[in-house]
Amino acid sequence: MTAILAPLLLGLAFGALLHRGGLTHYARIVNVYRLRDLTVLRFMLAALVVGALGIQAGLSLGLTASAPVPLTALAANLVGGIVFGIGMATAGYCPGTIVAEAGEGRLDAWVAGFGGLLVGALVFAALQPTLVPALAQVGAVGRVTLAELVGASPWLVLVVFAQLVVIVLLLVRGRATG
Amino acid sequence: MHPVLQGPLPWHLDHAGGDYCAACHGGDRDAEAAFTAHATMVPPLAAPELACGGCHADAVARADRYLSRAVASPVIREDEPGAPALSIVPGQAGPRRPGVDRALAALVIVLGGVIALLWRRGATARPWVTPAITRPLIAGALLGVVVAISEVGFGRPLAASGAFDKLAAYVGVLLWPDRAYYRFVMPPGVTWQVWLMVGVLLGALASSRAAGEARWRWLPDTQWGPRFGSSRARRLGLAFAGAVLVQLGAGIAGGCTSGLAISGGAVLAPAAFVFMAGMFAGGIPAAWLVYRHPRSPR
Repeated sequence: MTAILAPLLLGLAFGALLHRGGLTHYARIVNVYRLRDLTVLRFMLAALVVGALGIQAGLSLGLTASAPVPLTALAANLVGGIVFGIGMATAGYCPGTIVAEAGEGRLDAWVAGFGGLLVGALVFAALQPTLVPALAQVGAVGRVTLAELVGASPWLVLVVFAQLVVIVLLLVRGRATG
Repeated sequence: MHPVLQGPLPWHLDHAGGDYCAACHGGDRDAEAAFTAHATMVPPLAAPELACGGCHADAVARADRYLSRAVASPVIREDEPGAPALSIVPGQAGPRRPGVDRALAALVIVLGGVIALLWRRGATARPWVTPAITRPLIAGALLGVVVAISEVGFGRPLAASGAFDKLAAYVGVLLWPDRAYYRFVMPPGVTWQVWLMVGVLLGALASSRAAGEARWRWLPDTQWGPRFGSSRARRLGLAFAGAVLVQLGAGIAGGCTSGLAISGGAVLAPAAFVFMAGMFAGGIPAAWLVYRHPRSPR
């Protein structure tokens, strides 16, 4: 039951916040790449800092022993990001906002969005045996965090990261609100 | 890094770039309980043509080489006293360097000064507390709380793209029944990730209905029309092409905006920041190309 109810409830909050944050609009997503509307950047940076503080607090308080760490493989992360960015700037979508836009009643998300994601998953599966081993050769660092990589206190790294985010947000304040 | 990937077994070292554990050890990657996840485990490299054949044509010969070397090396067992923990705790894996901590502490003070200066300088000069700025900040901060609950409470990233890999796998296993990818890495299933996306759909529906913004429509509300006109086919074509690229890119990178950039960034994994750099490196030129057209709106 938890296996269905927990993700459903987390998803409800996720979808409502994507809508309330104003991310379910073609123009919002595309204009972050034209540096004309930084809504997406503000939303992501705020989520990053608060999420990082919450996770590190959970680890320090012993609420959990570990948190999932994604694989750092520099070539794969970078090439994947470039392809992802081109797609995002073309369609004005990312996978999460396609689902949220479908919830708002946008039929292009139902037809082209869902269709494209499913076809894209098959295209990746077709390329996976050649692409993944080749890209994994370059810059495969492993499942590490920045704190582990530099051998520092995770709280200190987190404070510096939060400060850098605040500086970015202060530098772009009042700009590009769309 | 997972301790086993730094251990003495050559196969693990050679394949540290991917998450292929189940390819050799079997088990159910999507099971919720440890018991059901481990129930179907098999001896490693028991069926090399299945486990390795998806990527290597000479699977059996390769497996023989690895097996002969594996027998000669000590095997780490999780249940032995003193064995390294198999889960990853941020900040507790690598060796600590006190010099780095001191340098970071100094950096904290410098950045604190920069923040104080920027705050004072802009306090009266530029608008800061406007709904267009604070709304995404507040919604983003609340999403950060959701990410923390998901990771601390359930050990799962808040990921979107994986759900579509799991659903497309129902077709994929028919197209490529022998692929190791679909047997071990991405078997089809209606999993946690899929239910999360059902929640996102319903959450956005509820929120947009409450705001009076939910209605059926084919075209984006702003900016699309002045640039691309009112053709439905053109919107569907470009949206489809973009969605294909988005899902392909997420597959290559190991996640999307939510699963890799936000959830991975929240554990301060380098992968997330490299991915975000790639997003802008691809997105800025692409957006420039799209809007370079003379009829483009400003």
